[in-house]
Amino acid sequence: MTTLKPPAPAAVTGLPEFAALLDGCHEEAAPGALVVSRGGHTVASALRLRTGVPVPGSSGTLAVASGGPPSAGRELVAFADRLVRLHRAAVHAVLDQAVTRLGERTSEGTSLLNRQLVQGSVADVALALSETQDLLALPSLTAAGLRRAHADLVRAGRTVLKLYGAHSLTSEGPGPVLYVAELLGNTYLHLGSEWGDTGDGSS
Amino acid sequence: MAAAESDRTTVLRGHVAEAAAELRARGLGLELDQDPTAIDRWLDLRAVELMRSCTIPLEYVDEPIVAGPYTYDMTSCLEHVVTIEELSYGDTGFMLACPGPLMSGVTVGALGDTSQRKGYYERVAGREPTWTFFGLTEPRKGSAATELEATLVPEGDGYRLSGTKRYVGNAAFAQLGVVFCRRAPGPLGIEAVLLDTDEPGFNAEPIPTVGLRGARISHITLDDVRVEPEQILGFKTLKSTRRGLVGAIRTLQRFRPVLTGTALGLARAVLDHVQEQRPGITGTDRLRLEELRDRVAAVRQRNYQVASAIDAGRVRADHIAGVKTRAAELAEGCTLLAADLLGPGSLVTDPWLNKAYRDARAFEFMEGTGHIQRLAVFQGVYKGTFLKD
Ligand SMILES: Cc1cc2nc3c(=O)[nH]c(=O)nc-3n(C[C@H](O)[C@H](O)[C@H](O)COP(=O)(O)OP(=O)(O)OC[C@H]3O[C@@H](n4cnc5c(N)ncnc54)[C@H](O)[C@@H]3O)c2cc1C
Repeated sequence: MTTLKPPAPAAVTGLPEFAALLDGCHEEAAPGALVVSRGGHTVASALRLRTGVPVPGSSGTLAVASGGPPSAGRELVAFADRLVRLHRAAVHAVLDQAVTRLGERTSEGTSLLNRQLVQGSVADVALALSETQDLLALPSLTAAGLRRAHADLVRAGRTVLKLYGAHSLTSEGPGPVLYVAELLGNTYLHLGSEWGDTGDGSS
Repeated sequence: MAAAESDRTTVLRGHVAEAAAELRARGLGLELDQDPTAIDRWLDLRAVELMRSCTIPLEYVDEPIVAGPYTYDMTSCLEHVVTIEELSYGDTGFMLACPGPLMSGVTVGALGDTSQRKGYYERVAGREPTWTFFGLTEPRKGSAATELEATLVPEGDGYRLSGTKRYVGNAAFAQLGVVFCRRAPGPLGIEAVLLDTDEPGFNAEPIPTVGLRGARISHITLDDVRVEPEQILGFKTLKSTRRGLVGAIRTLQRFRPVLTGTALGLARAVLDHVQEQRPGITGTDRLRLEELRDRVAAVRQRNYQVASAIDAGRVRADHIAGVKTRAAELAEGCTLLAADLLGPGSLVTDPWLNKAYRDARAFEFMEGTGHIQRLAVFQGVYKGTFLKD
């Protein structure tokens, strides 16, 4: 299986961009088709998945359809691999913007970036991103490994969102992109899902 | 062992739980998630009645809340916590979208003189449903609220108020509220002003959010709003150093256990939802569920102690910060666990779970972030008070 270049963090700027990149993941894993999860769900951009219903909280950019026959294991693993890389790029982008934003916000005459608690959170997220990158580079990474990487990214994403304060809860903030990344993992990479290891690796 | 609840509290809890059950049975949380103005269609519900009179002193209320042999106004912090926790179990967003005093009432109670309190309470307790707001946070100053920039500039025998406020619950739908602003430099130059939203120069727009849409957080623009001295809370009765900032701090300290209850109500609802959806849950999954049940129960018990201490006049900032931050984290943790335990695709097939999952992230920010609470806990550790009961 060939691994295509993961999206650059700078490309994951908002929900429409994320939705387009998600469609790219489908296309790479199953050219000309959409990947259906083991549970029979498909999540893609609303433009691509015209028969679906809107995903709540995605401002109409993503749609979900249910009831299709699951895709083949090889396609599912290829898609899972791309999803984790997209999720990682999204968390990376949100971290980069957080550092810029915190540098511009001040309290007691100094930038919020000078607060050690803030610095600790930034470092935790960066460490998680770095470890995920190393995990994704392992030739032996299994489907279970991908699922664990997703769980790590959920935790890192939650940490970085906190650095935005209430802005992260608004539709224009970074929250929606990470929320849909989490939802995609819940649909396609669920820890309790029965698709298990297909043994055909991911990279 | 947990302290036994008084009969008065148990009766209140049962009374509120019935009102909350109605919210769940009718699926009103999801309705408000789709359309936060839908609250207007449900103003005759008991949950709304509870929120409308909650914390208004009995002397201002024509028909107080009566349950069993008891009459309640929820001016007790513990009773307020129990009420909000149970309503949040019904639906957090619905509860927050309700008319009533919410936070602004506590500020008016803490700072207002007799005529200010009378004017405010009579209006909020009146026949027409009245929404209120508590405007502290600004676009540039959130955690650093003491550095707020909205200004109160003298003009003739009054003032002009200018600036912006952000993330203020219900402001775009409210009739009146409290705005914190600066009359002079420094933390002690802050004032709390009671404002009518139909004053010229007041403008508020809802901010679309990904979660807790019922909170209806709003952006406020204040453009030379005329303020009379009698609108400044405590202007005639309190020294300027005992006014604005003191009111903000007292409101936040009094309200944090209430917010803790809000988060725990949602957390409990999520865990019960998992149990309902998977009644036969076993093995590791069951242990994970039980772990969070224990944690929620423990913070809940601690929160009642914190609230009872406030009622007894003991306001312990470190303890208050501790329960708030643990509850916010637990609410998030419960929804993450639920998404795991309810299986692949649960976030797309279970709309109730999906909403709770989006809502739970809000508690981190409301009334002070986890970092800010941790600093208060640290102060308690440093002074040797935090780990003492
Ligand atoms: C649903 C909801 C309802 C709300 N309702 C109201 C309301 O009714 N009225 C109102 O006035 N406000 C309200 N708020 C706003 C809330 O009080 C603020 O979001 C909160 O105070 C944080 O401010 P901020 O969002 O600007 O984040 P910031 O203060 O910008 O924080 C950004 C990051 O920096 C960190 N940070 C900041 N200062 C420090 C420090 N000194 N040390 C370490 N870390 C620090 C924070 O922890 C956070 O991680 C509401 C928010 C939400 C989400």
